[in-house]
Amino acid sequence: MDARAISERLSAITAPDALNEWELEEQAATIAALPAGVQEGALHHYQAIWPVSHALAALFLHHLPGALECLAPQQLGEWARAALDAYERHGLHGADTFLAEPERNFLCRLRGESALTFTAALPRLRPYIQALAGPLHDLDLTAAPHAATDTATFFLPREIGLFREERQNFLLYKLITSLLWAQVATGTYRWRWKPEEPLIADLAGRYAVRPDPDLAPLLGFFRLFPQPTLAEELFAQAETARLLAFLRRELPGLMDEVAPLLPLLLPQRSAPPETSAQTATLEEIRHFLCHPSGPAEQGKQTRAILLPLASPTSTAADSARATARLYEVVTAFPGPRHALPPLPFVAALRPAEAQAARGRHQQEERTRFVAALSTLLPPAVLPETGITEDQTPPAAARREADTALLPPGTAEAARPQPTIILDKELKALTVDNQSIALPPELQRLGQRIAADLGQVPPEYVAAAAGLAGSGYHPRASATASDDTVPPATPLTYDEWDFRRNGFRKEWCLLHEKDILPTRGTFIETVSQKHRGLLLRLRRQFEMMRPGERFVRRQRDGDDLDLDAIVEALADAKAGQAPSERLFIRLRRDQRQIAVVFLVDMSSSTQGWVNTAIKESLFLMCEALAVLGDAYAIYGFSGMRRLRSELYHVKHLDEPYNDLVKAKIAAIAPQEYTRMGPPLRHVTRLLTATEARARLLITLSDGKPEDYDDYKGDYAIEDTRHALIEAKNLGIHPFCITIDQQAHDYIAHMYGEVNYIVINDVRNLPNRMPEIYRTLTG
Amino acid sequence: MEHAQERIEEHRITSQPFYLPQGDEVTIARAAYRNRLPLLLKGPTGCGKSRFMQYLAWELHRPLITVSCHDDLSTGDLIGRFLIKGGEAVWVDGPLTRAVKAGAICYLDEVVEARKDTTVVIHPLADDRRELPIEKLGQLLTAPPEFMLAVSYNPGYQSVLKDLKQSTRQRFVALEFHYPAAPVEEEIVQTEAGADRDLARKLVKLAAMTRNLKDAGLSEGASTRLLIHAGRLMNQGIAPRVACQVAITEPLTDDHEMLAALDEMVRSLF
Repeated sequence: MDARAISERLSAITAPDALNEWELEEQAATIAALPAGVQEGALHHYQAIWPVSHALAALFLHHLPGALECLAPQQLGEWARAALDAYERHGLHGADTFLAEPERNFLCRLRGESALTFTAALPRLRPYIQALAGPLHDLDLTAAPHAATDTATFFLPREIGLFREERQNFLLYKLITSLLWAQVATGTYRWRWKPEEPLIADLAGRYAVRPDPDLAPLLGFFRLFPQPTLAEELFAQAETARLLAFLRRELPGLMDEVAPLLPLLLPQRSAPPETSAQTATLEEIRHFLCHPSGPAEQGKQTRAILLPLASPTSTAADSARATARLYEVVTAFPGPRHALPPLPFVAALRPAEAQAARGRHQQEERTRFVAALSTLLPPAVLPETGITEDQTPPAAARREADTALLPPGTAEAARPQPTIILDKELKALTVDNQSIALPPELQRLGQRIAADLGQVPPEYVAAAAGLAGSGYHPRASATASDDTVPPATPLTYDEWDFRRNGFRKEWCLLHEKDILPTRGTFIETVSQKHRGLLLRLRRQFEMMRPGERFVRRQRDGDDLDLDAIVEALADAKAGQAPSERLFIRLRRDQRQIAVVFLVDMSSSTQGWVNTAIKESLFLMCEALAVLGDAYAIYGFSGMRRLRSELYHVKHLDEPYNDLVKAKIAAIAPQEYTRMGPPLRHVTRLLTATEARARLLITLSDGKPEDYDDYKGDYAIEDTRHALIEAKNLGIHPFCITIDQQAHDYIAHMYGEVNYIVINDVRNLPNRMPEIYRTLTG
Repeated sequence: MEHAQERIEEHRITSQPFYLPQGDEVTIARAAYRNRLPLLLKGPTGCGKSRFMQYLAWELHRPLITVSCHDDLSTGDLIGRFLIKGGEAVWVDGPLTRAVKAGAICYLDEVVEARKDTTVVIHPLADDRRELPIEKLGQLLTAPPEFMLAVSYNPGYQSVLKDLKQSTRQRFVALEFHYPAAPVEEEIVQTEAGADRDLARKLVKLAAMTRNLKDAGLSEGASTRLLIHAGRLMNQGIAPRVACQVAITEPLTDDHEMLAALDEMVRSLF
């Protein structure tokens, strides 16, 4: 192809948002300069990228010649797809960085050499840590520059690429996660010191510092040393030595796998001659961590300090003692000290954050525990807490009074207090000799608090006693508001892009909305108009009702089939082989069908189509009320990918009543038809229901189309793909299309037998129940 | 039907089944038996419900007739039916009728799987009447004092459609079973699978990890039964990681990501 032919092709692709002439020329020249075999492919990928982002398409071309130096032509498609992914994840700039270095960002990954990212490791790490930590901890994992934890969140490196193999990089992730868990499980941040204990008093004396008990304990400990950062580094390493030993006992398999990898993390060169003795000592410690069974003569002094930490009884306090000794050893040598790159598995310490997290956590659990407990206590406790019904103080004042309330039997002994006793195993609560069992959820919460604080503090119970009967139930009020106003968080759905044969991840936002019911004459008019049809439908559907019937001549059954026996006896007498089918069986036909009607509410349904759809829905509901199948009705519309809307008319488990009728009457044309998100949402709903057969019936008036680039082939392919996804999940999709002209795209979009086109919209109310009957009969 | 010929003696348990009590369930069951009260065993799959029934039957010297319920189980399957034999209609007792007549223990395993109308036939048998009407024969059997009815179900995984009716549940003494506490479970795995202490401890630890994932990706954690399977495979020389994979993680889920995560747990421990 010459530059002119290419520029014609380009302007066809980019129309109607045509490029500037000079841009067009430049891009055409770029393509023309490519080897002939690649030109067609380049144009093809350009066409796929153009609708997503014009700038990205330009960047793609810009980097293409350079990329072809290391990419094979058949890898271009994969590269373009990866670029689109990078664009959706990190924006134009991210895509630019990605495209600029195909060798590092793309090929390495293909060869499996690349770094393992946090996101890629997360699906395996999350269940792993959940399983390890158990239900008593709600741990969160997130990416951060350094490995660390504040005991509520695990911060893990964004990516690990220290090893060549993905498996090895993952193992390092796993080791880091396990070490952080060990910090939480063995209480790195639970260590508390007292100024008078020997270690602290000794350090304070030696370095002439006054211990500051107001700081987070570890922070206060580090401040005892003249070089707090060195102390922190040494503590982190001593603690890691202890925790590695802990993991060797708890997770031997992991440690066996990791052992050969750790020495690789150390620099391979021997120490340069100019290294100071101080730095060399620090190197020894790192060596010990990576190589605990290494040659014993190496770093004898530090080994002697670190080895005892492997004992099963050692705690963070032992690590602190070891820190003090290591500090002494290190600083005894002459400096200077060079900063060594940190070992990736030695977690950074976050004492202040850990203390804050602990405080937050305790407060949260206290609030939840008190609120939950208060709902259990009988309101009879109320007068005895000193508040009577007629002199109700404002809620805030009351709550203050509650927190000030002392445990029963201490201060207000004069007033008869109810004795509230929480049993030791946190299974039940005794109020004035009356036992109330705690619900399991509360039991677990209580156990968590007890694990954290040693026991459930009596003031928690006292506070709950104060809340009980005061009418202040934070939990109750929260659930009440949940029922009326559902959280308006939109749901995200992927969208199929046929041009790149892949999904646009989390591309669409689906908002769930309620239809405001209208009170009008619509329903009355329709039931008058279709009186005859309604009667007929009811009769027809009644006949489909699940019933019990006897089936005769079975091999096995509850009762004898006398006719069959007489025949068999006669046959036997006549010398013929008698039949073995002599039983009657009661067969129950259970329909167990779940249906969702998905109604197009786009503006094009204005007028006749809308009325016909509403009429047919009403007739369907009447017929289904007889039949008893579970069904739901949702409408959909929206504008652009970020505002796809799903209107709720009736959920699967909702009864059919006047409200539903009024909502059907209120179905009105809205905006555009983006079919993918509602289809995917309804698919998700249907897969969650239990039924023998699941049916998804779409009522639409033609092509899917949205305001943005969701039109033409793209929209048809996405809809088709969403329907295929549904089918793969065991849902039977069926589409009823009201269209004057039957287009050829319909068969492609819905699949050969899964649709019906209704030419005359006035036939719809007649046809729809019939279609349903054939579908489910 | 073959089971018609089965003699009741075949249901007698002659050697003591291995059972480690989790709590006072044996004492309670004994007391219930003495007072002719039926038993309802609740608990996750593979936690020892059926083994408990075997142990109880052995201790009480009663035959144990177990019926695994399914959704096609009809009243005829429980009570009995007419069969044609050589031109004659012959009545054949169902397992429940045989148990009543012989004063055995009838154990309906996974009773919620049976249809609700089938479950209703046990009602007169499960209250103080202790009667079993056989409509087709026009007979009313009264259960001897030795007869005991027991049913089991797993409240965890059944769907809302398969719940036990209140009128059914409120006839039973209910015993709730959990997975045994770690030391007990270790002992069970050691005895049943012939595993050494260290191995048993690791298996139990793995089970605890999977149970932490209940409702967080797994619908049920690994049962004691699975641990025993894994232990037995290891005894046959199967490598521990492989044994855990085929006997524990693969039976638990089909989700690939979850399998990968479970595999990491196995690799951490073994």
